[in-house]
Amino acid sequence: MIVATVTNAYPSTRSRRLRERFFKALCVVALLFVIGPSVWLIADVVIRAVPHWRWSVLTTVPVGVGGGLENAVLGTLVIMVGVLLIAGTVGVLTGIHFAELQRPRRNGKPGGNFLRTATEVMAGFPSIVLGYVGYVALCVGLHWGFSLLPALIVLSIMVTPYIAKSTESALRQVPTNYREGAEALGMSTGYALRKVVIKSALPGIVTGLLIALAIAVGETAPLLYTAGITNNLPSASLIHQPIAYLTYYVWTDYNQPIEATQYLSYDAALILVVLVLVLLVSSRVLVNLTQRYAEGRR
Amino acid sequence: MGDEKASSAKTLSIVSGPTRRTSGLRRVGRLLRGSEENLWRWSTRVASLIPLVGLVFVLTVLAIKAFPAIKVNGAGFLSRSTWSPGSTYGAPIRTDGVLHPVGSSYGAWPLIAGTLQTSVIALIVALPISLGTAFALTERLPQWLSRPLSFFVEILAGIPSVIIGLWGVLTLGPFLADHVYPFISNNTPNVPVLRYFKGNVGYGEGLLTSGLVLGLMIVPIIASTARDLFMQVPPLPKEGAEALGMTEAEVARRVTIPWVRSGLIGATVLGLGRALGETIAVAMISGSILGTVSPNVYGTMTTIAATIVSQLDSAATDGTGFAVATLAEAGLVLAVISVVVNVLARVIVNRTSRHVAPVGRG
Amino acid sequence: MKNLLRSLTALALAISGLLVVVALPASATTKVVTCFRLEKNVVHTAKFHGVCGHGWSKKRPKPKPVADDAVQTPPTASLTETGSTLLYPLWNIWAPAYQSEFPQVSLTTGGTGSGTGIADAASGTVNIGSSDAYLSSTQLAATPNLLNIPLAISYQMIEYNIPGVTAHLKLNGTILSHIYQGQITNWDDAAIAAINPGVKLPNLPIVALHRSDGSGDTFIFSTYLADSDPTWAAKYSYGTTIAWPSVPNELGENGNGGMVSGCAATAGCIAYVGISFLTSVLGDGQTYAQLENGKGQYELPTTATAAKEAAGFTAKTPANGTISMVDGKVSGGYPIVNYEYAIVNKVQSSSSLSRAVRSLLEWAIDPSYGQSQQYPSQVRFVALPVKVVTQSYKQIKKIS
Repeated sequence: MIVATVTNAYPSTRSRRLRERFFKALCVVALLFVIGPSVWLIADVVIRAVPHWRWSVLTTVPVGVGGGLENAVLGTLVIMVGVLLIAGTVGVLTGIHFAELQRPRRNGKPGGNFLRTATEVMAGFPSIVLGYVGYVALCVGLHWGFSLLPALIVLSIMVTPYIAKSTESALRQVPTNYREGAEALGMSTGYALRKVVIKSALPGIVTGLLIALAIAVGETAPLLYTAGITNNLPSASLIHQPIAYLTYYVWTDYNQPIEATQYLSYDAALILVVLVLVLLVSSRVLVNLTQRYAEGRR
Repeated sequence: MGDEKASSAKTLSIVSGPTRRTSGLRRVGRLLRGSEENLWRWSTRVASLIPLVGLVFVLTVLAIKAFPAIKVNGAGFLSRSTWSPGSTYGAPIRTDGVLHPVGSSYGAWPLIAGTLQTSVIALIVALPISLGTAFALTERLPQWLSRPLSFFVEILAGIPSVIIGLWGVLTLGPFLADHVYPFISNNTPNVPVLRYFKGNVGYGEGLLTSGLVLGLMIVPIIASTARDLFMQVPPLPKEGAEALGMTEAEVARRVTIPWVRSGLIGATVLGLGRALGETIAVAMISGSILGTVSPNVYGTMTTIAATIVSQLDSAATDGTGFAVATLAEAGLVLAVISVVVNVLARVIVNRTSRHVAPVGRG
Repeated sequence: MKNLLRSLTALALAISGLLVVVALPASATTKVVTCFRLEKNVVHTAKFHGVCGHGWSKKRPKPKPVADDAVQTPPTASLTETGSTLLYPLWNIWAPAYQSEFPQVSLTTGGTGSGTGIADAASGTVNIGSSDAYLSSTQLAATPNLLNIPLAISYQMIEYNIPGVTAHLKLNGTILSHIYQGQITNWDDAAIAAINPGVKLPNLPIVALHRSDGSGDTFIFSTYLADSDPTWAAKYSYGTTIAWPSVPNELGENGNGGMVSGCAATAGCIAYVGISFLTSVLGDGQTYAQLENGKGQYELPTTATAAKEAAGFTAKTPANGTISMVDGKVSGGYPIVNYEYAIVNKVQSSSSLSRAVRSLLEWAIDPSYGQSQQYPSQVRFVALPVKVVTQSYKQIKKIS
């Protein structure tokens, strides 16, 4: 008995063969249009920043037209940690709610479409509008001035939907057997969540958190109107003290005629690119590490 | 007989549950576990309300701030083209009970047109690239190649938009204006519709460059969603199609894409929502010219978001607060468009999807 | 693959650890001291390693008070200033000098445009707003506690980028108004050629640059245009933001810096830029124009001509500093001259902040400190005349 190989059969007409080749070529071209600009982008930032790079940029604050970026680097890190705490908590809890704890509708479909739609709407919301509302309501309305807390609140509102979405999809991918086994053993829902379900979904949750952090670190418009700017290092106060961040220098200084200021803008861009790459690489690495923890092997 | 009674009493007690003689420690444990359950339920319930509360709060504040401008600007706001703060150093006048400078007249049509134009160009650019990339990553390339290459998609997603704007204005714009645009502009025939592609190419700041850069920014959204969707297509229909002799292109076109069509539309609309709200990159590349719709595809223009970010500070110098209220009105228009687009995406996905992943079958 | 990932993780952790360690403040190896010297009633400061140089001393000298003012010592405070990009280069020279005398005050300066300076000072998000434009009556009505305090005298130049033309073209308000309205579109237009005989003007389209942010430069430029051309006054008037007529080949830029770099990149451009950016303008190969003043004379923007124009207005300057010095009828004076204002709220949020703000502003207007030649001359500004210093000092005293 001959089993004919039917995969990749030779198409009969010339036009179909041409279309096949055209399609394959288009896919490769499309991929190049993604790889090419990303590489060009990073190379451009590196080429602009590296010739004038000094390590003192990380240890001095801006002085006059030049100086360094220590205030902005530390400020960005502080903002990152703050967003991780606030948006991370709210986002993960929201995702758990959507995936696990919502009461299903009577016709069997999962409930809570309204809340989920509202969350997804916030995901695509224009960032400048959020920044303006934060300025009006928090900085001026509550008299907090430019400071860390309004910036954290606005960024968290921006970033929570992404975390919620990735948490929800990570939780949905945990097999039902785990939950059924936990219930059979008499675990309460909360206990089962803590010990079984979230542990298995940890890789997806961690990835979502890190990508959301990358988004928060790269935002400019909302921070322009909530965090202000200062040459000082981040202080311990949450309100009344402005805080610096890297994207400010990229946005403000790129077209200044004084070279020292322009180089500051490129240096800030370089530090941002490195920071984002570190976040993305660590998300991949952490996924591998937490995969083993999630599956019970340490 | 006494023994039997005693043993049956013991049996009863086991069946009916713990007696009062349970140790205190066990009772604390039970209480904590019960309240842990409640803690989870209530904390997640509160957390899930926060995005909704945020959305309602933002829209309410916008509406309140924009109300004076809505009263005075009226419905013509959406169709007028002027953007004039009026004479801010003169004495203000009162219209409909709202104080505003003499001669102030605002029209958002060029802003709305610019927003729609850049988003359309972005979609036209992003859709083929995203679909091609998704196909390349899932179907065409082996696993060991596609995982590192999909990293580039994540890079595009994670790079701050201000850096993409920096690259667009300092490198890509001049490159396109020197090498690509003159070629297009000179070789397009001078026919009525195509005349839109002829014009002074300037230095690269303008509509086409903004649209291209915006398209690049929304590619990761559509591509990563498309890639996940393609991976979820069951292999059986695809293998069946191949068994019938279809080429890979035809499998893609006639089997894979219809299978995930609603998800793709949802992803596209989400990308559209992102493109509508993109602020900083467009503000850097578009040339920030208020008051005119660009006459050709290379001209400078502005979008609603870019206008808000570049005009907010100068609007604040209008002591009557009218200019800021007008910007809030423009922001409200943008917010409403964004909400409508995103809700549409969800409705399309919900209504036409047959394969919502239920919990536990990922 | 796993080993590769593990080593990548280790590398990433090492790099981040290195960054954190490097980001900690570096300790100084040799101690840097600030030394002072009193020369002609002006206090000079300089930094030395270890010991002060000959003729310098560590003790801050007390100059003879001029015009009845004295600089008070501030408490520890953190001040923010933002606003005019025309004054911004001078703030960047003043800030290190002030902080070397009073290190307990940390000052953050910003160049975001006069509009932002006024708005942020009014809303209280910034302590000092800088502006080339005085406050309008509506702004004062909205925030009655605002003061505009003259800090310096600056002026504006009209610069252009015409390849092959290095002469200082003669331009007047009417021609500029027609350029910005689109009625004159080419550099070899008859109107420009008529007042510039002997200059070969090329056939090059004019690209008119204007400020897209709220700008004091726009304010003084539009005041000049409104004074020279009644049509402009009627249609567009003057202000920190105006409705620029839509003209083919126009561009909007952010800040004086954006104007200079935008003009450098565009052949045929014309732009209005503050004089503090002269070095950048000349460095990019551009040049500036002679403008017609109220008496019909064509003057170059120099410290001398600006000082003449300002002198003609010193007597008329009111106690609150609100006056326009544009297009005055002063012989030999440059037409676009203005006071640089510090927009400050009379009521600061705490007494330590108000004392620090007062100290900084007093230092800035003091002829022995901020107004001494070593500072304004670096940006080609004119020092404040004594009468205005006294008036500014009285305004500063109102801050509480």
